[in-house]
Amino acid sequence: MTMSNDLTANNHKLVGKNYTTPDLLAKINGKAKFAEDYRADGMLFVKLLLSPVPHGRVRHIDTRAALRMPGVKAILTVDDLPEPADSVTDLGQVIKADRLGERGLTMEPVYQGEPILAVAAVDELTAAEAIEKIHLDIEPLPFVIDPLDSLRPGGPNARVQGNVWMRPAPPPNAKPGPPPPLQRGVLKWTEEDFAQAKEGQLPMGQATDQWQFGDVDGGMKNAALVLDETFVTPNASHQCLETRTTMAYWQNGKVFIHTGTQSTYQTGPAIARWLNMDPKDIVFISEYTGGGFGSKITGGVSLIVPALLAKRTHAPVMMRISREEENFIGRARPSLQGRMKIGFSKEGRILALDMFVICDNGPYEQMFDAAGAGMIVSLLYQPLAMRWRGLSVLTNTPPRSAQSAPGGMQGITLMEPVLAKAARKLGVDQVAIRRLNAPEGKAEFGAPMGGRRGHTTSCYIKEALDGGAKQFNWDERKARTGKRNGSKVRGLGVSMSTFVGGSIGYDGLIVLKPDGRLYIQSGIGNHGTESLSDSHRISAELIGIPWEKCELIWGDTSKNLPFTCASGGSTTTHAMTRAAHAAGMDAKRKLQEVAAKTLGGKPESYEVANERVFRKGGGPGMSLAQAAQHAIQLGGIYDGHELPKDINKATAASATALAGQGLMGVAKDNYPHDGATFSFVASFAEVEVDLETGKYHILDFLAYADAGTVVHPAAFGGQVLGRSMLGIGHAIGQKWVYDPHYGVAVAKRFHHTKPPTILDAPANMAWAAVGIPDPETPVGARGIGEPPVGGGCCAILNALTDALGDEVIRRAPVTPDTILASLEAGKPVYGGLKADV
Amino acid sequence: MNFIQWATSPWGERVPIHISWDLLWASAIAGALFLIVHAIYVGYWAKPAAEPPQDSKQAAAAARLPERVARHSFGARAFHWVMAAAMFVLLFTAFLPKVGVRFSWLTIHWIAGIVLTVSVVYHIIHASFWLDFWSIWPNSQDLTDASRRLQRALGKPAPPPRKFGKYPLENKLFHLAVFFAGLAVIFTGFFMLYRVPTPFFTRNPYLFSDMTWGVMYVLHGLAGVVFVALIMAHIYFAVRPEKLFLTKSMIFGWISREKYLEHHDPERWPLEGGAPQTGQSKAPEAAI
Amino acid sequence: MSVIHDVIPAFELFQPATIDDAMMLLDRYGEKAWVLAGGLDSLEWFADRIKRPKAVVDLSQIKELSGVRSDGGGLEIGATTTLTEVVRHRLVREKYSLLAEAAEAAASPQIRNQGTLGGNVSQDARCWYYRAGWPCYRAGGNICYADAPTGLNREHAILDAERCVAVNPSDTAPALIALDAKMVVRTPGGEKVVDAEDYFIGPALDITRMNILRPGDLLTAIRIPATWAGAKFYFEKVRDRNVWDFALVNVASAMTTSGSTIEQMRLAVNGVAAHPVRLKAVEAAVAGKPRNEETAAVAGQIAIQGTKPLQYNGYKVPLMRNLVKRAIRGVAGEEAA
Repeated sequence: MTMSNDLTANNHKLVGKNYTTPDLLAKINGKAKFAEDYRADGMLFVKLLLSPVPHGRVRHIDTRAALRMPGVKAILTVDDLPEPADSVTDLGQVIKADRLGERGLTMEPVYQGEPILAVAAVDELTAAEAIEKIHLDIEPLPFVIDPLDSLRPGGPNARVQGNVWMRPAPPPNAKPGPPPPLQRGVLKWTEEDFAQAKEGQLPMGQATDQWQFGDVDGGMKNAALVLDETFVTPNASHQCLETRTTMAYWQNGKVFIHTGTQSTYQTGPAIARWLNMDPKDIVFISEYTGGGFGSKITGGVSLIVPALLAKRTHAPVMMRISREEENFIGRARPSLQGRMKIGFSKEGRILALDMFVICDNGPYEQMFDAAGAGMIVSLLYQPLAMRWRGLSVLTNTPPRSAQSAPGGMQGITLMEPVLAKAARKLGVDQVAIRRLNAPEGKAEFGAPMGGRRGHTTSCYIKEALDGGAKQFNWDERKARTGKRNGSKVRGLGVSMSTFVGGSIGYDGLIVLKPDGRLYIQSGIGNHGTESLSDSHRISAELIGIPWEKCELIWGDTSKNLPFTCASGGSTTTHAMTRAAHAAGMDAKRKLQEVAAKTLGGKPESYEVANERVFRKGGGPGMSLAQAAQHAIQLGGIYDGHELPKDINKATAASATALAGQGLMGVAKDNYPHDGATFSFVASFAEVEVDLETGKYHILDFLAYADAGTVVHPAAFGGQVLGRSMLGIGHAIGQKWVYDPHYGVAVAKRFHHTKPPTILDAPANMAWAAVGIPDPETPVGARGIGEPPVGGGCCAILNALTDALGDEVIRRAPVTPDTILASLEAGKPVYGGLKADV
Repeated sequence: MNFIQWATSPWGERVPIHISWDLLWASAIAGALFLIVHAIYVGYWAKPAAEPPQDSKQAAAAARLPERVARHSFGARAFHWVMAAAMFVLLFTAFLPKVGVRFSWLTIHWIAGIVLTVSVVYHIIHASFWLDFWSIWPNSQDLTDASRRLQRALGKPAPPPRKFGKYPLENKLFHLAVFFAGLAVIFTGFFMLYRVPTPFFTRNPYLFSDMTWGVMYVLHGLAGVVFVALIMAHIYFAVRPEKLFLTKSMIFGWISREKYLEHHDPERWPLEGGAPQTGQSKAPEAAI
Repeated sequence: MSVIHDVIPAFELFQPATIDDAMMLLDRYGEKAWVLAGGLDSLEWFADRIKRPKAVVDLSQIKELSGVRSDGGGLEIGATTTLTEVVRHRLVREKYSLLAEAAEAAASPQIRNQGTLGGNVSQDARCWYYRAGWPCYRAGGNICYADAPTGLNREHAILDAERCVAVNPSDTAPALIALDAKMVVRTPGGEKVVDAEDYFIGPALDITRMNILRPGDLLTAIRIPATWAGAKFYFEKVRDRNVWDFALVNVASAMTTSGSTIEQMRLAVNGVAAHPVRLKAVEAAVAGKPRNEETAAVAGQIAIQGTKPLQYNGYKVPLMRNLVKRAIRGVAGEEAA
């Protein structure tokens, strides 16, 4: 593609360079303040009373003894919460509030650990003692932990209203259009459905959703090899180091809220919806956030508890969330139970793919992981024909949310072991079979909509596979795997992976002030990915101003932020480099115009570089500081008194507040964009398994990414390896454990849920990037946060099956007990299809 | 002192888990106090019962009686001692660990429990079909006599009580208490076998709700400590000189004609066939 | 009464400077006292508001309880010596590297800096039902949740379980048994010295305690005799994560050989029962036998006699067998065939 100011070429000063991010020093020297670090005079502390039962109805609460305690200031229950508000999209579409949705407190808890009430007291000890004085009379209701139990005839339902998210039957004579939204309903399978599945196979009854393209039956018929495999992926908590701690206070009718978020700008409207308030009365502060991974895209609904208690008590209120509480309210990735029937040609090409997935939905909002899994599998393995069937079953377990590559990671995990097994059966190289099936260029994906399927903006995963195989010495390593050394045997694994890598249509807002500095308004959250500052460097690059002369304003919605994407689905680098590019280009154009108006000539004859605007080929010019001064004098569009019509009203309000301070760059991302943006990774791993103990070590790991232009190599590498590690955690140990009799969690702390430690990381870990710019975005950069997760998980799983054979693993995580017991028994043991064992 | 130990169930309910083991001491002290008070009462205050005049009818009956009056059949005695052995084992295995004597008690305890259960089942069948079933249960006459005895002991005028049938009232009351306490431990103990590894059942601690189990453990414990006092009293009476003849009868099966006539009312305890089942020619004393 | 697992309840904190003062405090508060060493086990109980002592006796100020001293030919290690000190101590490394290795396998560097040897051997069971505050046998109740038909017992006992199926989680305990260490215990009646293996007790004897310490007792030191100094040692811990994790099973052994013949051996495993298990039958079987794969195989089979796996911990049987085999071989992995 041709575009002036092309930043994809290798000729820039900031893009593609490492630098010190503006938040780094404070994180190292401890001066960074997270929500829990704030203190205010007269601050009260909150403790929560959590539901002891997985599903119940509160009959009566006696708080008299607690309220009599000195120091206890208030108790909040669901009756004190505002009614859930409807929300309105930017297009004016009203989305009705879900009356059965999660509200932060409840009288009908639907999972153990759900908050029932909150006590505010002068200190935490008093609040905790007050909780113990509360008499809770709760009627236990039927509950279910395992989706399959709920689907059995007569099985329990997680909610009184039903057990699955399903589409209502369309009314007769309905006009064609998008399918109606999902509702809670009751779905039970028959005894025959269950009886038809062999031991270890996922039963397949009625699904609530399905789509198909191509001739699946024909593909299976023509296949040289048909595999029918079941796999279970784990429920896994996000385990952010910063829990959902929140501090709140009120001043002059406005509420000030400190908590962690992935998206500063987008959290404001979410809070407004939860509190049923006008967004302009909400000031949300989040300069530092200790991890999100999808659990804090817009913070969490629990933040309204201290906000409302602060209003009630007229005091600042801190709600510190413990690790155990975080395990309940902190979100998790849903487990998928999947069955993949795949027909391969003798070369290994996937002719037909029949995918059936059950998502362990948790008790609240519908999760789209089952659907996401189908979409990602259809893209990453390019089957010639595919059928997807899925359903999301409600369970009485903690609420889920998106987690790094939601659905995609699980879909890849259902798929990759089958591909590895097929390669072994067909005698095809593991890299080769993936290359054969890999997407390329404008690759199609997903369900056909109106007869057409979507396509990617670009895809270079074959280049990643080739580059990775070379860098990993794949062929050389392959020659030595499988040989036993004492009790140890090595295995080699490769996996492909992909996920969404960007969105479009947001605004950029920058002001070049007469002090010669560029003030960048950022609505991006600071949850550690560094996209917060990486994205905005594009504006500085275009204006030719050194990074040291840029001031990033972030982490506070009162500081005039522009309309910004939600940081989820790895959209930020793509979306906000586009917005930054638009704002940078706007400022650059205005600089040229200001110079022309001031010094004469045409704007095109002026160049912007080295902190100056000057006539091309020599001649008069001015510094950026002078240009800013002139912009203020010129007013109108130049200093923000006149604004573009297409920017979001929030951006307009912020720009208006900043008008007159300097030369303003403000614009909406209107760049063309053909296709949907995805990023790709090819991951490689070598493991060594001790057959006497079942213990294994990851010796080597390489993730080779295709995410377009690399804007900030250190951050990019951090994301590739960090998120690979997140996936590796799913492969090697991270899990939930629920006691099925009581329906309550027995693994609630780090040493039970086992997120990986630094010593579980591969001994050698490397990353690389293809680096081919995406043609559909001006900077060429796509997001890289989430795509590595599936690859991290499956490179390990595939290396393990390479070492151990195909009859050991049927679920993740794979721990020494699984390996040893399965080797002893000669077949997969432990857990079967059960959830959370 | 709490009588019951409570705990919070996994669902946050307050459930009983067992009795407070302080009740063991309470029971032992109550038992000991009873013995002391009784011994003092008998030794210092109780008036010897006035010797009722021998009437001619009774003398005639005596003439027809054998020297040794059969009281307990071999089966009945075997039951008593097997049950007694099981009971002692049960009490020691139950309570020694509670007072700090550490040993592996569980298996011995449940095996003894099964011995007890089997012996009691045998006893119920035996007593129902082969023994004079009703002789051990208190009846209205017992209550009338007890009231008369009490009034006389308090110095109030009352008609003289009749002599006992086969079993004195205190014996009957003891049996009644043992009946209820025994039923409680056996019934609850049977289900508790589901909680521990035995060859009989697949372990299933979730047979009942936490609350039901809690009540069972409390009943089991309560009956257990009640047994401590009951057995103290039982042994006390067994070794009291005036009751020794009854204890001996539980070993040898008979009492002497004199004791029979002295303590029992032949109308209330008629002898079948008039002949003793045991004892040939030896004098009672010689048998000891 | 509702349940909350956060915020340490108030207690009276004592920091005695001498053992005598500590003993006096323990005597004064009896069952209501709590002995605090490194605090890794204690503070978790407190913060969960499950254990609520009236008085906490912090041993950190008692100098005589800490440090490694030469003791005749052996060593005496104060009970509050940190695991890091044990790991780093020259004499421990030179003569009893088994203990250094075991101590280094415990938890994580930060925890080892704070955790003590006495605390590591005396720590409570980590069964997740018990630690959740459920009223199980070990907590004084009348049920074992882990041994229920639906119980989750992947990390539980395969040996010597009686009602309770929790395991002893200590890494140093089997090493101390293999070294024939003696535990020095101060009781109100005076000092007593017991063999390490007799220090630990199973649920059959006392379901609520892991060791012989009763209220008022204090473990003051651990003596390691010269007997096994410089012997051939083997320690291995198999765990899910490579750091900050309890053992699924661990093994510790000390062996003397003459040529390729095993003269004597002491061997203990942990993570399989409520107490570390000394495998006397294995020790007897291998004495005088050649140190080879065959002996290792026989030893492995003897080791697992009497094991009774639960629903999810059957893997511990081959794991224990294989670890014992490795201890005999003295190396991980099979010898090349």
